[in-house]
Formats: sequence, C-alpha cells, structure tokens
Amino acid sequence: MTEPRSTTLDERGPRQMVRAPQWAFGVCDGAYAAGCRDVVYVPDNPLSHVLRVFETRYSDVRLVLATREEEAFGIAAGLYLGGRRPAVLLQSSGLGNSLNALTSLLVPYQIPVLMVVSMRGDEGEWNSAQMPMGRAVRAILDSIGIPHVTSESGEATHETVQRAGTRAFSTRMTHACLLPKLLTADDARRLRRDDEPS
Amino acid sequence: MNRLDATRIVVTQAGDAAIIASLGHPAYDLFAAGDRPRNFYTWGSMGLASSIGLGVALARPDVRVFVLDGDGSLLMNLGSLATIGLLQPGNFVLVVMDNEQYATTGGQATPTSHGADLEAAARAMRIPSTATVRTAEDLVAALGGPSQRGPLVIVAKVDESATDARPPLDCVALKRRFMSAIGEDES
Repeated sequence: MTEPRSTTLDERGPRQMVRAPQWAFGVCDGAYAAGCRDVVYVPDNPLSHVLRVFETRYSDVRLVLATREEEAFGIAAGLYLGGRRPAVLLQSSGLGNSLNALTSLLVPYQIPVLMVVSMRGDEGEWNSAQMPMGRAVRAILDSIGIPHVTSESGEATHETVQRAGTRAFSTRMTHACLLPKLLTADDARRLRRDDEPS
Repeated sequence: MNRLDATRIVVTQAGDAAIIASLGHPAYDLFAAGDRPRNFYTWGSMGLASSIGLGVALARPDVRVFVLDGDGSLLMNLGSLATIGLLQPGNFVLVVMDNEQYATTGGQATPTSHGADLEAAARAMRIPSTATVRTAEDLVAALGGPSQRGPLVIVAKVDESATDARPPLDCVALKRRFMSAIGEDES
C-alpha cells in the first residue's frame, strides 16, 4: 500500500501556467494529499477544471476515463485491490448509475474510494431534469451508508477533500465530498491564474 | 466444452495470475475448479468483473489478470470493452463464458443466443487480440502462454455446468485474502 504523502502547493515545484478556479485546485491538492494517484472519472463541465489541473500540475496522477459511473467504481475497486488509493470524479446525476457498484461491491467488501461529486439540482439549477436526483443525493448516500461532506468555499475545498479522503482510506469506507453548484458555478466565473495570489 | 471444463483450463493456464470472477455461476465454477488466494470472487455488482480486473491490471502491471465473465454480465457493461480498448492493458485477459443464457437466474436466453457477437464487439472497440472458441484445444491455443500480450478477449461458447460449490460469503475476508496474495496488505 502506498503511504499517503503530505504535500502542499509549494512542494509541486515550479508552477505551470494553468487557469482554474480555486476549488478545482483544492480538489486536486486535497485528493493528492490523501494519497490518490489514480483518478477515475466521467466528466462534467465543472470537473473539466479539476482534470486540467491534474493534467498540468500532477504528472504522477493517472487519469482514467470511464464510460459510465458504475464502471468507474468498478475500475476504482480494482485499483484499490491492487494497492492504490483511487478517487472517482462524477456529476451527481451519475450517482444513480453507480448504486449497484456502491451497494454490492464497495460497501460490503469495505473497498474505500474518495468520491468527488459535482452537484446538479441544488441551488442555482436551471434544468428541471436535474432536480430529482440532485435533491436526493444526500438522502441516498445516508441510506446506503456512505459518509459525505460538502465543500462550502474555494478556500475550504482542499481541506474538505483531503479529510474525506484520509478518513475513507483509514476507515475503509468510501466517502463522498460534494461540490455545490453555487461553488463550482461562481468560482468558474472568476477564474484565477495559478501564479496569482488567491 | 462445459463452463467448468473451460474454467479448469483457464485456472491451469493462469499460473500465478490474479483471477477475478463475475458473480453467480462463473464464481461458483472458479471456486470448484481451483480455489486459490489470487482468486477474487464477486457476490454482487453484476457486469463489473471486467472493470475490477482492469483496475487491478492498471494498479499492478507486474501481475497478469484474468477475468471470468458471463455473456449476460458483459452485456450489462459493454462500455468496459471501450475502456479496455482505450487503455490497452498488456497484462489483461478477459474470458467470457458465453452459454447464451442467464443461467444463474433460471436460463433465460441472452441476445448472444440470437447472434449478438461479443468478440466482434471487442474488435470494434479496438481490442487487438480476440477469439471465439468452442473446444478445449481452441481455448488453450487462444490463451497462449505466459508471454501472451494483452489485452486479449476470448469468447468461450460453453454448455451449462451447474456446480454446488460456493465460495465463502465473507466479502471482507475474500478481499483481504486476495490483496495479501498479491502483496498488498491493507493494514
């Protein structure tokens, strides 16, 4: 098992030029600090910022594209069995696609994954088709026994994600960190350059 | 060739490879054919055996990984073939035990009984080495030796062979045994 290596932004060496919102840096830095070097994902719009930061700043993180969220959790489970500490990035709408993997593989086998969930159907939503699942996400996670936390700000995201990941891998329980739409939409309008003070 | 015969051949050819088995009959047959610490049995998550195997193969390029799937299970997660075709893991072998039915649930026919071709699906997803086999000799030949490069997808047309053998139900113990066997102690 790879030991999680504590890291800060400064340890990453010379910063490459990458434009991304602060919460997106927080997701990457927090997941990395929790030991994640493998990230399985089904993309959505906000998560594109996270993927860009991983690609440009974390050359030792492997990004694995899945065709469906359930498949992503299957791959992540295999990565864990092989000694890695996987993260899965998904939009909340994909939680519905994931339930059988979560309830009949990750939970009963005690296979931990750090879930990072880009929320739809919460405050700021405009699409009625996103509302029912968005409103149900926390109740579903509660009912299937997956602890979850919510990042309330760009500043808090690093620590929130890192703690969720650290707790997941030490307790062998998959944990979710939810990114509200207001966080990802608001920060996305105020892109900052990585080499500028936040 | 029935599925238990085919499973015995895979276990023999696998050597010290990891073997991941889909729930139900593929897992029961693997347990009957040769229980070993490097077997990982799923008790749920239908469709995900190939995805779990892919994850192990990515995590551990030094370990060959065999997956025992069913036709009905693979049809539930066909996107997995696209991901395998994208990543091209050299240490990955998927054997689909195609009995053209959902045998674990009572023998309902699957689309492969009407000509749906899982080998063609694998080729269409850019998996370079594929085969459809109906005999033990052809299965042995398709598996190749330990130096056979993957990804390899073999569709084994098999007869049903229900066994009464069952792997243990303790999921956590199954996980720990598998991880320890490939040198990944959790503690």
